Order: sequence, then structure tokens, then C-alpha cells
Amino acid sequence: MILRKAFFLILILLFFVIPLTALLLQSLSAPWRFHTGQGIDWGWQGYSTLFENPQLWEATFISIWIGFAVLFINVTLGLFTGKALASYPYRGKAWLEALLLSPILIPSLAIAMGLHLFMIRIGLADTFWGVLLIHLVPTVPYSIKIFHNSYQQIGKTMMEQPHILGAGFWTQVFTVELPLLKPAIRSLTFLTIVISLSQYAITALIGGGRVLTLPLVFFPFLENANTSIMAAFSIWFALIPVFMYIIIESLMMFLPYSRLPWRNHR
Amino acid sequence: MTQTKLEMKNITKTFNQDTILNDLTFHLEKGEIMSIVGPSGSGKTTLLRILAGLEKPTEGEIIMNGKEITKQKANRRSISLVFQQPLLFPHMTVKENIDYGAKVSKKYKAEKIESLLEATGMARFRDHYPSEISGGQQQRTALARAMATEPEVILFDEPFSSLDPSLRQDLRYWVRDFLASRETTAVFVTHDMEEAMIMGDQIAVFENGKFQQIGTVETLHQSPANMRVASFLGGHLILNDHEFVPLHAVQLGSQKTSENGVSFHASVEHITYQHGRPIVHLYIRELEKKISLPINESLPKQEVQVTIPCDSIKTFSGEIL
Repeated sequence: MILRKAFFLILILLFFVIPLTALLLQSLSAPWRFHTGQGIDWGWQGYSTLFENPQLWEATFISIWIGFAVLFINVTLGLFTGKALASYPYRGKAWLEALLLSPILIPSLAIAMGLHLFMIRIGLADTFWGVLLIHLVPTVPYSIKIFHNSYQQIGKTMMEQPHILGAGFWTQVFTVELPLLKPAIRSLTFLTIVISLSQYAITALIGGGRVLTLPLVFFPFLENANTSIMAAFSIWFALIPVFMYIIIESLMMFLPYSRLPWRNHR
Repeated sequence: MTQTKLEMKNITKTFNQDTILNDLTFHLEKGEIMSIVGPSGSGKTTLLRILAGLEKPTEGEIIMNGKEITKQKANRRSISLVFQQPLLFPHMTVKENIDYGAKVSKKYKAEKIESLLEATGMARFRDHYPSEISGGQQQRTALARAMATEPEVILFDEPFSSLDPSLRQDLRYWVRDFLASRETTAVFVTHDMEEAMIMGDQIAVFENGKFQQIGTVETLHQSPANMRVASFLGGHLILNDHEFVPLHAVQLGSQKTSENGVSFHASVEHITYQHGRPIVHLYIRELEKKISLPINESLPKQEVQVTIPCDSIKTFSGEIL
């Protein structure tokens, strides 16, 4: 038991705490070279460069908006598709499941290039909505898979129980299904937001540079060798999913029958 | 005055060309409890699911209080179904689970919930989560939740089969009394004849998609309709397709005991004890049948003679009702 704890601690230190501390320290100091004889220069240059960028806030907000919208659509689509896959028996189910997973088997850039033409035709290219739609391509298959598995785990009979008691469709979704799907929604939140946030190529292609998301602001900086700026950017980047996760987690507290931390139980 | 609560007319269910339910017809009076007993896989669960509205019959109609409800959805029917597993909502406490039933069926009354908690003995555990209580308590909570919807008919699908025997025994009587005190009409499905006898006023023997016989325990034992019923009851020696002997008429001895009777050679397979009495398990080679009889003293022999007095041989009634 002690051995396992120690092992866990070492893993956490090695892969989480130490890299994160290094990143934090790096963002707060000027680039430091080994054997140059200089000490470490502490300072805020990394962050000041970051915040001097006039597009930073706009890009951050657009990224967050797109992230939330992508998450919302993912939850809605994934929930009902996953439910349907788990509850209706029919022939060719395996094929349909494979078909629904296919967007992540084909490189999304290939899909985006094909869709680009289509989006130009219907006027979605270079718009927020176009980017939103293209971000669904690499995320929706995962949501369907996650919700499908969760519904299967909850079980068909558990889904029939509220129905037998007299609950309507939406009552059932909000009182029984969503609360039991909380773990799935949690993993989905991180997954979709991180995926959506890190799409450069397809965002640039469909957004045409007009829909400004964080990666588009970051990419030019990749060329410079200033590690402090890159570290500051990385931290900024990492804070966004954490912030969004907190919002989603607080929203989930409003679901019926949630155990609220401030409410006294027994 | 009795009134017909639930009626099933010519219900047929086929699934991929397999006939699971074949032209079933029966009715239940208000407050009546019927046990449906049959071997596993005989389609009993499908029958309940059709009654509850979870599945549609291929043909036939269901009538409740004189109104046809065949096409009504499960959440609109005043029928509740208690499954084999308790299926409590894990994110709700015991009380919230019971409340839930009352709330979604729009029949919430605080006093009713209290009385249900009291009646099921779950008042002390009202704030516990399902994972914190025992299997029997979970099943009782599930029953309270089903009762909270104030159903006119309540269906049970082997609700005690996942419980240990002593708990099962207690809960059977408890549920029976509970239903009787509320005059609830109920259908109770089981594969256990003893359970069927405890729970039901009427027993329906169900096999091969059909009711083989519906009647009281006495009727079933005194005049079983056919071979299937008799072999399921286990209280008769079946001689052939249309003749049987009640086991209490069967005589044992080293020689043929009665002049006026048929006699068979039987080998003693085993002796067990039940209700404090030794039970001998015999194999009659000629009929290829196994029977179990209570005996008064131990039988030392391996081979015995089974004698059946001619006047105790009866024929199957062939009447379903």
C-alpha cells in the first residue's frame, strides 16, 4: 500500500508537478542558456509580450465561444445518438457505428479541404459558424462513442424504469439520464474543448484567417526561440480548458438530485 | 361486486418468426393477485412487458377498466412494473427514489410518502443512497417507489430471485399482505411454484407461449389440465399422455402391496430430508420418470416396488380454466 502510494507520488512528480513547475518558472524568467555564466533573470517579459498582442483577448473569447458551442452541440448530438445506439436493436448496427466513427479515421484536414468548397458555395467559409461546424468533425465521433458506452453501462432496464413510473421523455433526460451521465459529460468537456482549442490547420482553412482563434495567434510565435513567451502562451492556453471545466462543473450542480457540497447530508 | 380490472384478449407476440405468446386471453378482477408460473425462457417476461407497455403485441388487445389501452405508452398506463433487480436511481436517496415515482405520476403527497416509508420499514434509511443499503432493503424501496405512483395494477417480474432464501421468504409474505391491504390488483411472475402458491389467489401455468391452466392451487393439484401442468407441479406420477396418479396414492413396498393395481419396479436414487421427514427419490425405469415421496422409515433396499391402486388413476382434465 505504501509502495503504491510512493509510486503514485513519483509518477505525479515526474509527469505533472515537475514539468508544470518548470513551465511556470520558465514563463517568469528570461531564456536561460547553460554555461553562459549568467544567472536566472526573473521578469514578466513573457506575459507582457503575451498581453501586448492586440488580438489575444479577441482570440481567447472566440476560442471560448467556439469551445462552448462545440461542447453543447456535441453533448446534444452525442447524447441522443448514443442513446439510440444503445437502446434500439437493428441490423447493421456495427456498420453504422463504424460509419459514425469514420471522421476520426480519415485525417480531418482531408475532410476540411473537401468541405471548404462546399462551405464557400453556401457562404459558410470565413465565418464563425463554418469554423464551429468543422470543429465538430474531430469531436462528434468521440462524443457518440462516449455516450453510447455510458448508456450501455447504465443499462436498458434502468432507462425503462422512469418510463414505467410515468416520466415523460424530457423529464427522464433531466432527472435520470443527465445526472447519471455526469462522468461522461466531464470527460467530454475536456476532450472537446482541448480538441477544438488546438485545431490550427482546419480553423485557418475554413476560417480563412478571419475567424481568429488562439492557435492562429500562437503560431507566428512558434518561429521565435523565446522560451519565456512560449511558456507564458502555453500556460494561458492551459488555463482556458480549466476555466471552462469549472463553468461546466458548476452548471452540472443545477441538475436535479445533485449532491451539493454545501448542502448537509445526514 | 367484482369488477374486471385488466383484460387481455387474444394477445400474440411473434419475434423473428418465433411465436413467444400464442393467442393469450385472461382477465383479472380488482384486488386479485395472479401468479404466472413457468420455466425460464417461456416468455413470461415478454407477457409482463406487453402489459406494462414496454413492448407492443403483434396482435390482440389489452383492456383496462373497460377501455382499450393497447396503443397507450408505458408512462401513460396506470400499471407499474417491479423488475428482477431493484433498479433504484443511484443518484437519489431512498426517499428521493420514492418521491420520484409519486412526482412523475403527479400523485405526490407528503403523508403518502411517509406512510410508504413506514410500511416498507425504510423510514430509518430515508437519507441513505441505494449503494448503502442491503438487497432486501433495495427491493422494498423499489416496491415503495412503484406503489407511490398509485398504480391500478402492479406487475412483478421475479422480484425476489436475486435475494437470499430467508430474506425471500420474509419479503414474499410482506408483499402479499401489503398488496392485500391496499387491494391492489397484481400479476406475479415466477419460475418457482412455491412462490407462485404463496403470492397468487390464482395460478396460471405458462409454457410454450400458452396458458396451460389457470386456477387455484387446489384445482391445479386435483385436476391438472395436462402433462405439462402435472410435471411442473411435481405432485403427480404421470403414467402416459392422458393418465396420472397423485403421489399420495402411490404405495411403496418390497412387494406389490395391492392386488387391484399396477406395479412398477423402481430404484432408490437418494434419500434427503425435507420438513423433518425423509424423502426418497425414486427412478421408475419403465416410465422413465423420477418421483420423490416422503417415507416414514428408512428404506434399506436399493430396489423397491411401486404400486398404484387402479381406482386412483385419473385422466387429465384438459380444461384450461
